[in-house]
Amino acid sequence: MMKWKDRGTTKNLQEVILGRCYSYVMARYPELGDKDCLKIWESLKHAFIYKNPCNITSEDYEPLMELATHPIPCNKSLLWSKTSDVVHRYTKSNQNFLTLEDTLLGYMADRVSWCGDPSDPGINYESCPKRSECESNPSSVFWKMASKLFAEAACGVVQVMLNGSVEAGAFRSSSIFGSIEIFNLNPDKVSEVHIWLMHDIGGPQSESCSGHSIKRLKSILEERNFKITCVDNYRPVQLLQCVHNPDHTDCRLCTNTTATP
Amino acid sequence: MMKSLFSSVVLVSVLFMNSFSEVQGGKWKGEGTTQNLESIVIGRCYDYIRIVNPAVGEKNCSAIWEAFKNAFINKDPCNILPDDYELFINLSFHTIPPNKSLFWENNQLLVNSFAGRGRRYMSLADTLFGFVADYLTWCGQANSTGLDYESCPTMEECENNAVESFWRKASATYAQHSSGVIHVLLNGSVVGGAYPEPGFFADYEIPNLQKDKVSRIVIWVVDDIEGPDIESCGTHTVKILENRLKTLGYDVTCTDNYKSVMFLLCLDYPDDSKCALSSSAPATQRGPISSDRGGSWNKLMFVSFVGFLFRFALLY
Repeated sequence: MMKWKDRGTTKNLQEVILGRCYSYVMARYPELGDKDCLKIWESLKHAFIYKNPCNITSEDYEPLMELATHPIPCNKSLLWSKTSDVVHRYTKSNQNFLTLEDTLLGYMADRVSWCGDPSDPGINYESCPKRSECESNPSSVFWKMASKLFAEAACGVVQVMLNGSVEAGAFRSSSIFGSIEIFNLNPDKVSEVHIWLMHDIGGPQSESCSGHSIKRLKSILEERNFKITCVDNYRPVQLLQCVHNPDHTDCRLCTNTTATP
Repeated sequence: MMKSLFSSVVLVSVLFMNSFSEVQGGKWKGEGTTQNLESIVIGRCYDYIRIVNPAVGEKNCSAIWEAFKNAFINKDPCNILPDDYELFINLSFHTIPPNKSLFWENNQLLVNSFAGRGRRYMSLADTLFGFVADYLTWCGQANSTGLDYESCPTMEECENNAVESFWRKASATYAQHSSGVIHVLLNGSVVGGAYPEPGFFADYEIPNLQKDKVSRIVIWVVDDIEGPDIESCGTHTVKILENRLKTLGYDVTCTDNYKSVMFLLCLDYPDDSKCALSSSAPATQRGPISSDRGGSWNKLMFVSFVGFLFRFALLY
């Protein structure tokens, strides 16, 4: 078994993936009732089992993607970069938007890892390659492909949540958002892109809607014929951030709400 | 002509009857067992111990499923008792960190969001024994080892059903092993009382709290943002609850509209005056397209439109 630097395949991967697939289809989105979870698991397994984990291609994942992708309702796609925690808390609390991790494919794969090895049993539970060790590893290839398909499926208004407290800039060309998603939005289906630029509560305001990297993002998108808007600290998300910082000055409410009996 | 008319009548009646009863041909009035229940329960068990909360250590998820199933299969579905789940609880049990217990009534979705999947608080649904069963339905049948996928008894049909007894047992266990500061989140906008009696908290949780392990009980009464302020601390059923807990010897505090929770409720009503942040200047909040008006505006427009149509209909 080869030795790598990242954590190995999640133990009981099959049970976890199957359980999530059935949970998602049965309990959350019964209209996806035609999804065959066993087939989906098998197609995932065959994408990487017994293979050198530095040699994974998008062809390996074709059957899985085919079986597990599903249409996304218009105006609900929510892309994100460097805002993982808050964007997912937001979609859990507000069912109006979907991130990739709220689709069947993303839901099954979130926080789980997997990789194969040419020797028996074909799955490496000890370690898996980091991106720095090789780019064509099972995880990177999976998420790049899933992100591309997610962007392609978007229609109507697309939302993007970016982090204006990051020193290196809210929009980075090296991120999955900057390198894959924006180039796979379909101008025939997507009418507008709404950017929500969030600052950490009490965090630095490194960048706002008028910032450099946002200007760059806008020009890339405008060149592809998308209409763009940008809002600093989109209110509903800011309210969510305030849940865990209720006493911060940025979270002071206009009316002091003490109940009147 | 008559034949086709007759068949249409039959067809319409059948369709009508189908839509009338959710469970066509089922014995009971409630939804049947969730499809693929075994895979979901086992999958969630591993999800929990490998990913959600690996701190609980190794658990035998197959044995947990067997114990769960054996609590109710091959029995009268109206005669399942909480202690039938004893083995299941023993196998799936883990300690609950002090000060993290969060009890609730009439605000399940809110609690799910607020607890943050065990990171901030650990509600019953964030324990292994609650996590595997959350939002699922199940029941068996007498004289058969099969699960009933067609229908399951409702509370009205019988109290001692598989699902009710499960949650009674799970709630009691959860309360028994809670320690430190205990939090209770109640809904101040519910008709019938923020602290319902009978109710899970009243009947299965309070009686199982351990006096020597609980340092304080903190009650939060939160109103829906656009809901009525029916109850608050010190009034009606909340007063009954406060008195009951004090009589039992607990140190009790109560807060109305606890800010953290308010913020969470505000997500759906960002423009309500209760949700206005003094730091945000209105000008910068509105982009060229007011996408952040979202729900509350759309609701206002919709309601106005419907109102207009209604008045229009009345006139003509």
